[in-house]
Amino acid sequence: MNHAYGNAPMGVMDPPSVVLPKQEHFAQRAQRLCDLSERIEPLRDFLAFMAQLSRAQQRALERNTPAWLPEPDAFVLALEHGMPPLGTQALCRDIDFHSELTALLDGLDLHIGEAQRPLLDTLRKLPKEEIDRLAQEVLEARPGPEASRGLMPLIAAALQVAWLRLVRTLPHPPKRPTAEARSLCPCCGSLPVASVIQIDSKRSGVRYLQCGLCATQWYLERSKCSVCDQSGKLDYLSLEDEAGERLLPTQAETCGDCHSYLKIMPCEFDAHAEPLADDLASLALDLLLAEEKQYRRSGFNPLLIVGE
Amino acid sequence: MTLKVTRRQFFKLGAVGMATSSMAMMGFAPEPAVASIRHFKLTGAKITRSNCTYCSVGCGVLLYSRGDGAINSIDNIYHVEGDPDHPVSRGSLCPKGAGLLDYIQSESRLKYPQVREPGTHEWKRISWDEALTRIARHMKDDRDANFVDQDAEGNTINQWTTTGMLAASASTNETAYLSQKIARSLGMVVLDNQARV
Repeated sequence: MNHAYGNAPMGVMDPPSVVLPKQEHFAQRAQRLCDLSERIEPLRDFLAFMAQLSRAQQRALERNTPAWLPEPDAFVLALEHGMPPLGTQALCRDIDFHSELTALLDGLDLHIGEAQRPLLDTLRKLPKEEIDRLAQEVLEARPGPEASRGLMPLIAAALQVAWLRLVRTLPHPPKRPTAEARSLCPCCGSLPVASVIQIDSKRSGVRYLQCGLCATQWYLERSKCSVCDQSGKLDYLSLEDEAGERLLPTQAETCGDCHSYLKIMPCEFDAHAEPLADDLASLALDLLLAEEKQYRRSGFNPLLIVGE
Repeated sequence: MTLKVTRRQFFKLGAVGMATSSMAMMGFAPEPAVASIRHFKLTGAKITRSNCTYCSVGCGVLLYSRGDGAINSIDNIYHVEGDPDHPVSRGSLCPKGAGLLDYIQSESRLKYPQVREPGTHEWKRISWDEALTRIARHMKDDRDANFVDQDAEGNTINQWTTTGMLAASASTNETAYLSQKIARSLGMVVLDNQARV
């Protein structure tokens, strides 16, 4: 389409229904976490550590060569039939996240504080079966045993690297999930961490859920509950300080029908917002909502695990 | 309507659970974050799907409103944008639609029936009952005076050409059907739609 006068829109917007993460996703998340750690004083050390962890994830993704990788045509059937090609339960026995974990721990070594060093030492000594057991807890979004809960985000980080690596090998993005599974990741079947409203011209104003494990983004209509599909009693709650200024772009999309919430990040407020990073930084929003006792959190963030 | 819950896994991310969270177990004190919530308050907004009223395309719009969910919270609308999920407009709006907020907030927006009596220069507010009764009276009088049931050659034509009707733009098919039936059954010949104007 060509217009002689001015720049008319290039036809009707046709946003992609599933968007796979970029190769540099962890590096971008690290940068965002780094920025957030300077802005959110009460979480400074925690977010700075998570930024280092994301940087180590990027290095592991680029430098590690896992012992197992699927055959190039392994996903064709699953993609054809609308099944998640990288389902966590199907792949958790094969996928080599142990080497990713080793690479991650080596990459973190020089960059962390004394308080966190014992975590690395404990993880290095932990038997493989025990790591597998904790990984299973992470993949099923369970809280794990209290004593080992501090290790789980590091194992989760290794799982994220392993799955993002596989997602990058897919020949093309999967189709949009069917109605029954619309709020589960079309690549790996995991829960979303939060949703994001995009601002680029190809998908301006379009909302995507982002997977907490593999960072795939998939389309979901705006103003609709991701848990129960209802749209009648949604509210968008955000944090304001005493001067009435917005703290972060993050809002909680709360549903009065099923009494749950999922965070949503409109990029219009901050173009660099990244669902997983901004979810961690907006912990105060969860804490305030928990105090209200009306809504339960549906977003799963494997880098911040809480007990039952 | 039955409530369909597609997934049921929820997480307890509250002040109580922070002491045993992975964050605390990793050596990061959760207390400052828990204490920080005293400095914040929750503010809410609603987003409502609607249609642009200007023309027959009926582009989808999202209306942002603040308030406590009271039914007549139309005054609280603070932002309007194209609905990216709408199958027809896919988030686009024409300049008129993009300016809907000013239309909603306009001081001169007509919110109730008014009449300017012949020979006066002031608009007077009247009730809906009064307005509908007056319109019906005028229509009846005009139709009685000017209805033409036969043409010069004696053919039955049943025409009423001295009154016309301009229908609304964002009508549904059903409304458009009823408008057509009512106007034509009165013999009205001049019937048009604001969407074409």
